[in-house]
Amino acid sequence: MSALLRSRAFRDVAVVIVVVFGVGSLAMLLAHVSPIDGFGALFDGAFGTRSELAETLVQTTSLLFPALGIALAFRAGLFNIGAEGQLILGGFAAGWLGAQFPLPGYLAIPMVLLAGALAGGVWGAIPGFLRARFHANEVIATLMLNVVAFLLATYLVNGPLQQGGAGASETATLPKAAQLPDLIADSRLTWAFVIALVLAFVLRWVLQRTVFGYELRAAGDAPEAAKRAGIDLARTAFVAMALSGAIAGLGGATIVSGVLHRFNTGLSPGYGFIAIAVALVGNLDPLWIVVAAFAFGVLQSGGVAMQAEAGVPRDVVSLVTGLVIIALAGRRVVSSLRST
Amino acid sequence: MQAVDGVDLELFPGEIHALVGENGAGKSTLAAIAYGAVVPDEGTVSADGVVGLVHQHFKLIERLRVWENVLLNREPRRGWTIDVAAARARVNALAATYGLAVDPDAVVETLPVGIKQRVELLRELDREPSVLLLDEPTAALAPSEIASFFTTITALAARGTAILVVTHKLAEVIAYSQRVTVMRAGRVVARHVTGETSADAIAREMVGGEVPALAARAATAPAPLLEVRGLSAQSATSALDDATFEVRAGEIVGIAGIEGNGQTALADALAGVVPFTGELRFDGEELRPTDSPAARLERGIRVIPQDRRHEALVLSWTVRDNVVLGRQRTLPRAAYGDAAREVIERFDVRPPDPNAIAGALSGGNQQKVVVGRTLAAHAKLVVAYQPTRGIDIGAAALVQSRLIEARNAGVGVLLISFELDEIFACADRVLVIANGKFAGAFERATIDRGRVGALMAGHA
Repeated sequence: MSALLRSRAFRDVAVVIVVVFGVGSLAMLLAHVSPIDGFGALFDGAFGTRSELAETLVQTTSLLFPALGIALAFRAGLFNIGAEGQLILGGFAAGWLGAQFPLPGYLAIPMVLLAGALAGGVWGAIPGFLRARFHANEVIATLMLNVVAFLLATYLVNGPLQQGGAGASETATLPKAAQLPDLIADSRLTWAFVIALVLAFVLRWVLQRTVFGYELRAAGDAPEAAKRAGIDLARTAFVAMALSGAIAGLGGATIVSGVLHRFNTGLSPGYGFIAIAVALVGNLDPLWIVVAAFAFGVLQSGGVAMQAEAGVPRDVVSLVTGLVIIALAGRRVVSSLRST
Repeated sequence: MQAVDGVDLELFPGEIHALVGENGAGKSTLAAIAYGAVVPDEGTVSADGVVGLVHQHFKLIERLRVWENVLLNREPRRGWTIDVAAARARVNALAATYGLAVDPDAVVETLPVGIKQRVELLRELDREPSVLLLDEPTAALAPSEIASFFTTITALAARGTAILVVTHKLAEVIAYSQRVTVMRAGRVVARHVTGETSADAIAREMVGGEVPALAARAATAPAPLLEVRGLSAQSATSALDDATFEVRAGEIVGIAGIEGNGQTALADALAGVVPFTGELRFDGEELRPTDSPAARLERGIRVIPQDRRHEALVLSWTVRDNVVLGRQRTLPRAAYGDAAREVIERFDVRPPDPNAIAGALSGGNQQKVVVGRTLAAHAKLVVAYQPTRGIDIGAAALVQSRLIEARNAGVGVLLISFELDEIFACADRVLVIANGKFAGAFERATIDRGRVGALMAGHA
């Protein structure tokens, strides 16, 4: 029992629960709302009806892709905080190509998803290359590339690659053939959820069972030992960042193809950042990340209801998420500094 | 687990008291308790006056100057500022009193190890301790430096300071201490007046039985394996300059030297983690600086790194996954378990569990895993850098025996060690390294220990 209490995973979960309910309650009290009413509205909004549950799973899916990408990079010892930018560019590539080149159904969806993964992959490969070639800090590079990605997508969609969408900062609507089919009728939940789940299992298998995963984890857990065991750290960093970006980009493509049916520069309320907390709460294990993504999906979808029904500002959810990131990522950074 | 269990120890003014025992016997823990850095679960510590401690791994602030380190938190002040002139004078006076010459303005990171130790010693002496604890004080010193270090310590004792020397070097115990306490597994197993015992007797008490014998050396027919001409390389902590030597299949070549004299650069250059210049031929073919570590592993060059915790093992992984490291490209996944069991069995790894986490193993068992996986792989040349560092006598004998057996089987072994005893016990030939240069070569039959010691200290 005491071993369980001391284990890192358990302490992480304890930290999350204390932060979510403790700080959440405090913030609600400051907004003159009873925490019981506030959290009641939140959970009711997340699970109350079939369509609310479907919306929770939509949020889960949108968090799961970037979180899996971030976890892959983390396992290789790299802190990818550029998932947001990778996701946005993936979404843009998917939306623009999908609307520009209508293809028959069996080709349209794979093309849209592949385009998203490729664009995100390239955006992840840039800091990967800089790290591999020049030892550039990937934290700084990915952080700054988020801004570049957002501005680039905004420029392209309004400028040279404009498609005359309905409003500003949007591509045209995707043809029906390029839209991911619904999983639950009359909801926004699509087969993207299944793809994300399968990806989680595949990623876990790759990390635990393949030579590639073994070398990637060695590079992350003990770079000096890995180097001496013949593992090319530069190549590993490059590949890990490219794959990490590709997974986040794929996530952006599923939002475009499944949820919005077009690219919009506002497609992400910060999934790429919240996903950092998701990956860390999931202890970088793909299967636990599924659970963590669901928990954060509840916060995301329930937060709307909480604001509407209990009058608690939605910002409480952002506040809580931010504190979880600081608590978990901060500890990880400190412990990695100590061990070197 | 208890590191120290029911130990009584008394130190008297004016005596040098040696505390000996194997790694993990509880010596350092006992010293830390005496200093006050570790709070005992039970028992008391009392001392008349201040207790000082000189750590084995110096606790100095590398980027600060000598006087800043020596007087840290006791700086002479003038109002709100530090009186630098007074500080410098105080360090100079202290250095003169104890015969420990240092430049007060030197930045610590620029100093050689022996001088750093003086700084550490001066810092403690400034507090005028009545009890001084020294944890493995001679680990980084040359034989001649060791003698002058003990001259200082003996003089300090003569002024009435009680001194405790924690060490595993029995020759120094016999030469310089008045009393000796032997610890094993957290308990005191013997106390002697030094003059009434011997190094052999103390060694038996430390091990708790006879010291295990090394494997027998078989006759081999040495054949050319590694030829090195004009090798120069630079690692983070040391540089190697124009080294020419060869290692033949079926022999152990020992590199004798004090830490920081180019050994790390040599090992890293052969491992392929730092660039080098010079001509290397391995097994009849050229070895280029650009050949990757992976390519070298494939050709049969395997290095046992100095720092097993950072350079060899993934501490958070199981023993099984660590045994595979370096062979992950060639070993099929289904063979991981058998590979781990083979190493565990041949090297008596405890606990004998492939699923044990490497970081939870004792240093000796971690080292057995590292050496075991290296020798289990296809190896023509094994570079063993401090292969028995910080492990107990039994485990060290096992590791050394396995290296000798590998040599008997035709493997070339380059043994880089700071322990002369280890070199003399294992090597067919000995090369001395000092200041990054090779200073002398000896055949096993004609080794002159005194001459090796003098060359190590840089005396030609």
